[in-house]
Amino acid sequence: MDASSDADIVGRVLDGDVDAFALLVERYRDRCARYAMHMLGNREDAEEVMQDAFVRAYRALGRCEDPERFGAWLFRILVNRCRTAGARRSRRARTFVSDELALMSASQEHPAERTAWREEIQRALAELRPEQREAFLLKNVEGLGYEEMSEMTGVGVSALKMRVMRACDRLRVLLQEANSA
Amino acid sequence: MPDHEPMVADAVLGELRQPVPVSATFNARVMRAIQELPHRHGRVVPLPTRSSPRRIRIAFGAVAAGVLAMFALPSSPRAHARRVQFVLVAPRARNVKVVGDFNGWDTSHAAFHAKNRGGGVWSVTAPVPVGHHRYAFLVDDTVWVADPMAPRADEDFGTPNSALLVPDQE
Repeated sequence: MDASSDADIVGRVLDGDVDAFALLVERYRDRCARYAMHMLGNREDAEEVMQDAFVRAYRALGRCEDPERFGAWLFRILVNRCRTAGARRSRRARTFVSDELALMSASQEHPAERTAWREEIQRALAELRPEQREAFLLKNVEGLGYEEMSEMTGVGVSALKMRVMRACDRLRVLLQEANSA
Repeated sequence: MPDHEPMVADAVLGELRQPVPVSATFNARVMRAIQELPHRHGRVVPLPTRSSPRRIRIAFGAVAAGVLAMFALPSSPRAHARRVQFVLVAPRARNVKVVGDFNGWDTSHAAFHAKNRGGGVWSVTAPVPVGHHRYAFLVDDTVWVADPMAPRADEDFGTPNSALLVPDQE
């Protein structure tokens, strides 16, 4: 793992070392994947959005005002791309398809139970309104603060808190229903 | 403010915070896409930082009203974007919004809510980033209207869209 700072890598890329961008892809891929997958619900869409976000970030790298915080800047791009992709997807018939890769990576001790539990969570997430799902994931999964979320999404802190609260309430109901079914 | 009941939330959050598998070829795909971008002297080609004053001609139609209109508009000095006027003639509409990939297909963006200019003409002028876009009009929050005067974009999501090119230079 390259120990260079984000700013160092960004500088190298801007100086013409295109391949150095691969270090940033490797560094932030997994976090992006987690958010995009949970936001969009399937791996194909998630990876498409991730690739789009990375390419956009590369093209706009010269406008990254604080290269040391490249990760936060990239994540903002990803959040916006997920919004766009999610809005498009919402106009399609919503289907839930088990992710084969996720199935393969499920716990070997109790693969069936683990997979079922994952699917229940993913179904419940998919039931949330997109803005609630976004706020919930940013706060509770990605661990962002409300101020950072507000800066990232353009939504006020109070509204974000309300979205997170409603998302939690809704998830609790949905998962309790699933458990009692 | 309690966000959740611990018995539910701990298990849910524990699962959601787990790494998500990514295709083994993902990194290579990203880098290949980047390598295919235009480069100059080995450096990233920067996106334009400022638009010069110019005019854009874009046609917008009104399927709902059955009337077509064409307008020429001044551009915006806003970086990486140009101001585009969207016009729809829809005499019986109660509200008209513009949605597209430039605003995340989000109907809540007030900057893309058209105003009734009289005579059934609805219009709004808003900044749109340079590049290719898809868009549509949403009438009364229910009717999805493509622009018959603009190239039709793929209807891969079941609703008609129009294609828009906001050029960088004249």
